[in-house]
Amino acid sequence: MTAEPYAAASGLVERSAAAYVSSVPGQPQDDGFFGPASVTWRITSDLSAPVAGLRSLLMQALHPLAMAGVDQHSDWRLDPVGRLAATSAYEATVTYGDRASATRVAQRVRAIHTRVRGVDTVTGQPYAAEDPALLLWVHAALVDSALAASTLFGTPLAGADADAYVGEMTIAAELLGVPHEIIPASVAELGRYFADVRPELRCTAAAAESMGYLLDPPGMDSGIAELWQDIRDAAIATLPDWAREMYGYPAPAPVTAERRTEIRQALGVLDAVFLAEPGVLEARQRLALRMRSAGSKAG
Amino acid sequence: MKSQARKLAVAVVAGCVSIAALTLLHGRRGRRGDTRRRAHKLRVERGLTALRLVARGGARYASNAPRLFASAGEHRQQLRNDLALQTAEDVATTLGTMKGVLMKLGQMASYVDDGLTPAARRTLSRLQDSVPPMSPELAARVVTEELGLPPEQAFATWDPVPIAAASIGQVHRAITLDGRAVAVKVQYPGIAETIEADLGNVALLRRMLKITAPSQDVDGLLAELRERITEELDYRAEARNQQLFARYYQGHPTIYVPEIVEELSTRRLVTSDLADGARFAELASWSQAERDLAAETIYRFVFRSLYEMHAFNGDPHPGNYLFGGGGRVTFLDFGLVKHFTDDELRPLVEMVKHLCVENDPSSFRRAMVEAGFLMPDTPLPTDMIVEHMALFYDTVRERGSRTMTGEYAAAVSRRFFDFRSPLAAYAAIPRSYVILQRINLGLFALLGELSATADWRCIAEEIWPFVQAPPCTPMGAAEASWLASRRDLAQAHRAVR
Repeated sequence: MTAEPYAAASGLVERSAAAYVSSVPGQPQDDGFFGPASVTWRITSDLSAPVAGLRSLLMQALHPLAMAGVDQHSDWRLDPVGRLAATSAYEATVTYGDRASATRVAQRVRAIHTRVRGVDTVTGQPYAAEDPALLLWVHAALVDSALAASTLFGTPLAGADADAYVGEMTIAAELLGVPHEIIPASVAELGRYFADVRPELRCTAAAAESMGYLLDPPGMDSGIAELWQDIRDAAIATLPDWAREMYGYPAPAPVTAERRTEIRQALGVLDAVFLAEPGVLEARQRLALRMRSAGSKAG
Repeated sequence: MKSQARKLAVAVVAGCVSIAALTLLHGRRGRRGDTRRRAHKLRVERGLTALRLVARGGARYASNAPRLFASAGEHRQQLRNDLALQTAEDVATTLGTMKGVLMKLGQMASYVDDGLTPAARRTLSRLQDSVPPMSPELAARVVTEELGLPPEQAFATWDPVPIAAASIGQVHRAITLDGRAVAVKVQYPGIAETIEADLGNVALLRRMLKITAPSQDVDGLLAELRERITEELDYRAEARNQQLFARYYQGHPTIYVPEIVEELSTRRLVTSDLADGARFAELASWSQAERDLAAETIYRFVFRSLYEMHAFNGDPHPGNYLFGGGGRVTFLDFGLVKHFTDDELRPLVEMVKHLCVENDPSSFRRAMVEAGFLMPDTPLPTDMIVEHMALFYDTVRERGSRTMTGEYAAAVSRRFFDFRSPLAAYAAIPRSYVILQRINLGLFALLGELSATADWRCIAEEIWPFVQAPPCTPMGAAEASWLASRRDLAQAHRAVR
């Protein structure tokens, strides 16, 4: 049973959906750290979110120490789908949950992080998951990916909204212990951060292997597997050239208007499948109602 | 403006009978103001009929879910007005990127029943639940764009709160300037453009269909999906068809088709007389005698339309009927009507005649080949072919009272989708007959659900053009006198000319 390096990826949609449903509160005590009027809520519910999620993993894996932490410590190989679902549950709770829930899940993750430390076999460097530099990398990759995916395949944010999003999201990094001063708070600061960090990045064997699995997961339900090919192509198309070159992926065909439409159609079908999972529609409606009432208050 | 609309909405919701009161007021005004006597009389009559309909309906709205006018395959339990779509962009977000197309596929699921995987069925039905109605402002915008006037001016009374979800749109109640109570179907703005773009992605559609309906002929299904959606995007075709049926069945003892108000019907609006009645679910609680009568009316409607009008309304769906007791049925939603040419219909008629009346298997087989159902050089014995096909004609092969059952409907459906039978390799359904599978799959399922009993053969003989037997039921007798009066009327018209 353990001969296979990775477990099959079946049930990805079901388990992500269950994670999502359990993370969208029914009766929140407050609006959480972002709130229904935030740009963060809007971009998180964008059609492009699956592309953002996959791109974010592709980016995060390029930091050898971050990758080593995942590779050596998590149950990623045994239960990749469970690990992905747990990650999306975490992100959804921090985004949509009330402050108490978001703080609680963040503290749980920080407790786990204290135990995740070791030595990266590739660089020979020691690492610790609670190292603010690593946490910041993971954070920045996620924020940058949401912006990149929505720009190319979703509803692009206006300049001020993009800055607002990067600014709003600083709280998410703080929750995990990153000092406020070092977190990029605007698109320009985010760009400078990536320029600074780039020398540390490389595609290790662990990264190549993990991402190879993610881009073509075995045992995925047949319908989803076909859609996944489009999501994968879209995620690769949103990568910066330098990141794509590190992986050695061939340069993707340019994203024409026609290709963008096709990707969005595939995302729409995936979204319809997701929507059919128990509780997803109701969770969406809860959020939509709150966003609507916040919007009308603002307008 | 906005708050006014909201106030009106509140008034209508709060007092569902209020619209009836409004009709009454309006009717009075109309009577005072009109000077041309004949037009005046017509209007009053219309107004009174409308008033009766609305008054009856008004009481019902108070207690019932607003689904009186629900159309094909709609499963939405309630309209989420609190989540209403505010802008055309909202429509695109909700129904674009394949979702509108998938929804239509969900509605088609009613007749590709055996072909869909359970997961696909769940996905498609959930998707329909996920579409909220348009906000009153957005619906009003569509009306304004279509009629050149805002709804409060184009109509004497406009109910801004939709009463039902409809095919790629929603239904509003209104009263026309000349006092007719009407149902106005309003199409979502931008939906046509969105759906046309999505239908262009044939590769993805084909992949989706392969997954959702693995046992189906994917290209046939795709063609059907495209045709169906394209037809439905232009409501004018629907209005024309409904008017055709309304005219044909005018004065019929049990069949009622609401008349179209042509001047208020456009590409994105269909306005027709407001009708009322019990829904299919309620009919289930009525006496078996009532259910039998309703079934007889539906049966007569389907086959008289086919053989006399050469037209078939492709949606024998429970949501498309309202029941009035004594066999009276109102037929709604003419979004998918197929007209047959004489050449198309002839082989079908021949098949029935040879199999059921003349009992002539080899002629039956020849007619099947002529129609394109069977390849000319099929190396199978005729009795085998007849044996396979006979199930579809089972209810009309012999006289005698028979009860339609769910089991029979299921057997027909299984036989229809039996791609493993030796006949399957030599059989085909020509494009122009694809729609008729809904008789097999939709009508029989519907009658089966009613456990309807009748001498179907006997009723068929009345309608079959090559038999035209005398009436064999009271409804048949009433229909015969309606037919006679139609002929008299036609003669009178000719005489006048």
